[in-house]
Amino acid sequence: MAKVLIPTPLRQYTGKQDAVSVPGSTVGEVLRTLTTQYPDLRKQIFTDEGKLRSFVNVYLNDEDIRYLSKDATAAKDADTVSLVPSIAGGSTVALPPQEAGLASEPVELSKDEILRYSRHLIIPEVGIEGQQKLKAAKVLLVGAGGLGAPLGLYLAAAGVGKIGLVDFDVVDFTNLQRQVIHSTADVGRKKLDSAAEKMQGINPHLKLVKHEVALSSENALDILKDYDLVVDGTDNFPTRYLVNDACVLLGKPNVYGSIFRFEGQATVFAYEGGPCYRCLYPEPPPPGLVPSCAEGGVLGILPGTIGLIQATEAVKLILGIGEPLVGRLLLYDALAMRFRELKLRKNPECPACSEHRTITQLIDYQQFCGIPAQEPKVTEGEIEVKDVKAKLDRGDDFVLIDVREPHEYRIASIPGAKLVPLGQVPQHLDEFDKDADIVIHCKSGMRSAKACGIFRQAGFQHVRNMKGGILAWSDQVDPSVPKY
Amino acid sequence: MIRIEGEPWQAMVAHARQTYPNECCGAMLGNLDNGSKIVRVAMPLENAFAGAQAARYELRPEDLLAADRAARARSLDLIGIYHSHPDCDAYFSTTDLKNSCPWYSFVVLSIRKGEFDHANSWLPNAEQTEAAKEELSC
Repeated sequence: MAKVLIPTPLRQYTGKQDAVSVPGSTVGEVLRTLTTQYPDLRKQIFTDEGKLRSFVNVYLNDEDIRYLSKDATAAKDADTVSLVPSIAGGSTVALPPQEAGLASEPVELSKDEILRYSRHLIIPEVGIEGQQKLKAAKVLLVGAGGLGAPLGLYLAAAGVGKIGLVDFDVVDFTNLQRQVIHSTADVGRKKLDSAAEKMQGINPHLKLVKHEVALSSENALDILKDYDLVVDGTDNFPTRYLVNDACVLLGKPNVYGSIFRFEGQATVFAYEGGPCYRCLYPEPPPPGLVPSCAEGGVLGILPGTIGLIQATEAVKLILGIGEPLVGRLLLYDALAMRFRELKLRKNPECPACSEHRTITQLIDYQQFCGIPAQEPKVTEGEIEVKDVKAKLDRGDDFVLIDVREPHEYRIASIPGAKLVPLGQVPQHLDEFDKDADIVIHCKSGMRSAKACGIFRQAGFQHVRNMKGGILAWSDQVDPSVPKY
Repeated sequence: MIRIEGEPWQAMVAHARQTYPNECCGAMLGNLDNGSKIVRVAMPLENAFAGAQAARYELRPEDLLAADRAARARSLDLIGIYHSHPDCDAYFSTTDLKNSCPWYSFVVLSIRKGEFDHANSWLPNAEQTEAAKEELSC
């Protein structure tokens, strides 16, 4: 016989009694008798399988019976049995890997793995349990480039069980300065194959899924849905918005990073309760305003720093430890060697993640970012590099203008070209004759197309864009001109 | 519906501000009146989470047992648990849900930059799969 104290909300099942005296010589017997007497109480305390629910602790007087003799703990007349719930929580989410589908996957660690991850296992915050979470985790890495390189290498090494890689590019020489997952011998290979080989080489336990596609509104949800979290290593706005919106729609955290020259940013978007990319930037910048790495350049080491911050956040989210980089935009300035933090708030009017959301499915992100679906085929107003060469050889009367930056001009230039950086074109228009035959070039033809527009708007009649820029010049006219 | 009286409400807000930037937690004692819960006393409890407490809390069962006894001694009932979310909305997170108990109301206080922002009350289910929002007046 023992007295069982009934928690308030359960008294509705015990005829409003706050305590019931129940016969039984052990705590287990007492509880079984109690729930036989009051069958409605049973499912509050026990699961269908007859086990105590996970949140229920049973106390005999002041002691948890787990530390006594459990069910067999003797119960005497003067004893009081209390049902005390385990309660905890917090704004952090520990991703429960067993819930992320594929529960049949073994998450036990082999002897080899225990040795491999030994330096993790001896950190109390990681331990066997944490390493098992890593093994059960499924991370999608969008992009196997600058950010993807350190991310892929370290996430593979850390023991993330499954990594999906999205990329459709091939390795070229200009990648090698920063994309350390690819080596010189990989130039010309698919980035997916090259990256997969390195990651698998570091960790043969890794399950690697190659998605050789450009992520799009049509395939994004289908690809993302199988992963616990997404790490964004892309370098363009349409994909960034696409990844953000898909993560918000699917409720998956988006570990974000971006880089430019000497500066980088990182944060975690679309995390439960936190802001998303659209809370920060509801609209994309006008096309061409923010230069990409290919246009603006990037310190090769920078994506290493930012990618590893992303990798750290991804691992913390998986382990459910520490303070995630949510609601904070981390800014890194390599030249000053300083980190700063901006508070990010959830925008109550956010079109993607607020209660007033207008985006309920994926949209056309190229169009959203103002990028024409197809490059306009303006053959009129363009001139081939070979024809420019012919004009030079013939000694035609024409002006060749190079609209790149002075430091690019020093790397490679076409003899006779006059340097007027794109940003200074409007101030220099009056130096040119409106009826002159003008050819404009840059590195690849993008900036010179914009310059042609400026000239034409100012009333210049004969302005042509040199197709393919100095890169095409190097390919088709003069291989001694270095490409960069 | 749950109504928190002025005195316990002020005590809860003060507790949440005091522990900021860490999470606070405590018990709410009161009684049932015509089907609605009325909180008469807030009982601050220690956050026993063994790691960084900025985004986590844990209640010791012993403390909860003591809170239940304190309630009984005052002819009140233990009817809810409260905790704070520093610099974060007062939603019921997955962590909250997976460590919850369907017997009580869970009041979450959002504290931003050390000041009270808003609060919600939640009623988790027994399977710990979802929590319903409960009308809260304070």
